[in-house]
Amino acid sequence: MHSRVDKFVETARRELKVELSQAFLLMLSLGAPIMRQIGLSSFPDPAAAEAYSRAVRAEAVDRLPELLEEFEQNAIARGVQVIWARDAAEANSAILDIAQRRGIRYVTKGKSLVTEEIGLNEHLVEGGVEVFETDLGEVITQLLSLPPFHLVGPALNVPPEEISAVFLKKGIISEPTTVPVELGKAARAYLREKFRHLDMGIVGVNVAVAETGTFINVENEGNIRLTKSSPKTLVAVMSLEKVVPTMADALHLVRMVCRNCTGQKLSSYVSMDTGPKKTGEIDGPEEVFIVIVDNGRSEIYRDPQARQILRCIRCGACANVCPVYAKIGGYPYGFAYTGPMGQVMNPLLLGIEACSDLYRACTLCGACSKICPAGVDHPSLILEYRAREIRLKNGGSADFRSRAGKALASLLSMVMGSSLLWRLGVKCARPVLNRFARGGYISGIPTGPQAWFGCRDLRAMPARTFHEQWQDLQAGSGREAS
Amino acid sequence: MNQDAREGILNRLKSAPRNNPDARPPKPVLSETGLDREGMLERFTSELTAQTGTTYRVQSGEEALAVLARIAAEEGLRSIIVAGKALPGMDLKAFGDREGVAVTAAPETADREALRQAAFTADAGVTFADFAVAETGTVGLIFRQDQPRLVSIAPPVHIAVIPVDKLHPVYEDVIGQVFGETDHIPSQFAFITGPSATADIQAVGFKGMHGPVKVFAIFVTGRE
Repeated sequence: MHSRVDKFVETARRELKVELSQAFLLMLSLGAPIMRQIGLSSFPDPAAAEAYSRAVRAEAVDRLPELLEEFEQNAIARGVQVIWARDAAEANSAILDIAQRRGIRYVTKGKSLVTEEIGLNEHLVEGGVEVFETDLGEVITQLLSLPPFHLVGPALNVPPEEISAVFLKKGIISEPTTVPVELGKAARAYLREKFRHLDMGIVGVNVAVAETGTFINVENEGNIRLTKSSPKTLVAVMSLEKVVPTMADALHLVRMVCRNCTGQKLSSYVSMDTGPKKTGEIDGPEEVFIVIVDNGRSEIYRDPQARQILRCIRCGACANVCPVYAKIGGYPYGFAYTGPMGQVMNPLLLGIEACSDLYRACTLCGACSKICPAGVDHPSLILEYRAREIRLKNGGSADFRSRAGKALASLLSMVMGSSLLWRLGVKCARPVLNRFARGGYISGIPTGPQAWFGCRDLRAMPARTFHEQWQDLQAGSGREAS
Repeated sequence: MNQDAREGILNRLKSAPRNNPDARPPKPVLSETGLDREGMLERFTSELTAQTGTTYRVQSGEEALAVLARIAAEEGLRSIIVAGKALPGMDLKAFGDREGVAVTAAPETADREALRQAAFTADAGVTFADFAVAETGTVGLIFRQDQPRLVSIAPPVHIAVIPVDKLHPVYEDVIGQVFGETDHIPSQFAFITGPSATADIQAVGFKGMHGPVKVFAIFVTGRE
């Protein structure tokens, strides 16, 4: 996928003015966390369920190389052909080769983020294989050439008028309609013919199971089951971190991914494939390929801080609670991965220096890490990337470059180290800072750390500090009690 | 070349600093574990109802056919495709003749093409299911020679007939049976929970995106 992350600021500015995006984001950020809470409340102890899924993912990542080997061995034993791909180019050419050798004219696809990451669709089309995305959201983003708005619902914000127009153009409908259900039914009828005559299907993988060589897909629409059932040839593309030790582990993750993603206890379909169809079976694939994609992940694995992003299970819950995502939506993230997990993943795939705006667009509020069912600590990585960027710019040093900067840092660290000095400093700084207040806000100061105000305003300071006000309050309530 | 890629990737992973995994916390308890048959049937029914599915409880194969006839009349089914091991008293061919419904036995279709033709044009798929799970109102199907995959996903209506002793509290009870014997793992196993669904346009939800619009589950309990 072509990265647009360099356009972060302008895309965010534009999206802030799009009324439909804003209305939709408001609804999503209010509604989705409630749905998630309701879903999780079906566990007698939701915190225990969360702790367990975090432990499963942590263990799976810790044991990744051995689990991959075990998965590969079991998958091969069941008749699967396993292909390892170091990067996007290797994965894409292997899949195109499978299609071309079989004279495949078109494929249908289940929603798969890693295939978006590696730009598989573009590669197949260039190679003369037509690609039909079949998840309704992906159908729309594919036809309109849009980037994903949300990890799970990539076209949730697209106005029905635009969908109607492109469906008309493609002959999917013959009369314009803006009714979502009618648009959906038209896509059903259109894709049904593709499923019915399908020779090769491509799907992603939600979870791979080491002990059995099974891969699992979680979906609501049924497009993945049709893509896996109808054709003779099936290709499953998985990023290498998807593997867990046991079926029981996989089931718990499926429970968690559904609750965190849509608030469902279980999605409509969970299909578990272990090898091609057996002798005598009428449908199902005669040959199954699993493409294990690295594309930078084995390097991420060697990075002790960044490794934890490989725990992510792509539920999208982090975006639904992120105050930044709730304002700008998915487009500014500029790549396959949106929301906090995109802020943490994209810099590793695209380079720290190329993604500065991405990891700076974070308030470090920690809402994402607090709810992450995989135990990813996004803010710690975002801070880490910021530090790495400074080191890269300073030729390896994390220190301040100027002598004045160093002196200021030493002074601040001394003052912050002593509660007495800190309180005194805060008390004395107030009247000085307040001299620059305009309309209740301090938007800049003539000297000192001016850059800090580049993207922030400080509220004008009340005359009395919080500690002083607190003491007043305590004294007051003490009097009332007596 | 692929061998090089494999070795390269695995060697890089293995050369990384190793963390030893922490001990796991206790497995979270589930509220469905230990439900009795009545409790399971109630939970299954309320969960499937929440997904717009309908659950029936009958005592015999003959009663199940009567329910099937009612569904066929209400849904206007003129053709059905059938898969799985039929329960005693459920001769669907005879049922079709009696009710004026064209019945295709999926395992008897000649090949993939014939099966697709039948499954994509039938008004309903009827499956004799392998399992049901109370936890979420879920039907479990093992795909094999007599249970082709398309029967439960291609037609717009799916009717699952389940012997009540195949109903279990939670997924693990079923997965243990399906994946326990490593030599007999099916090529595909699926959990089906209600109809196909989407909310991808404007978050407007509707049923029947690519798979069935309606799902019915008929439990056969035997004489009580």
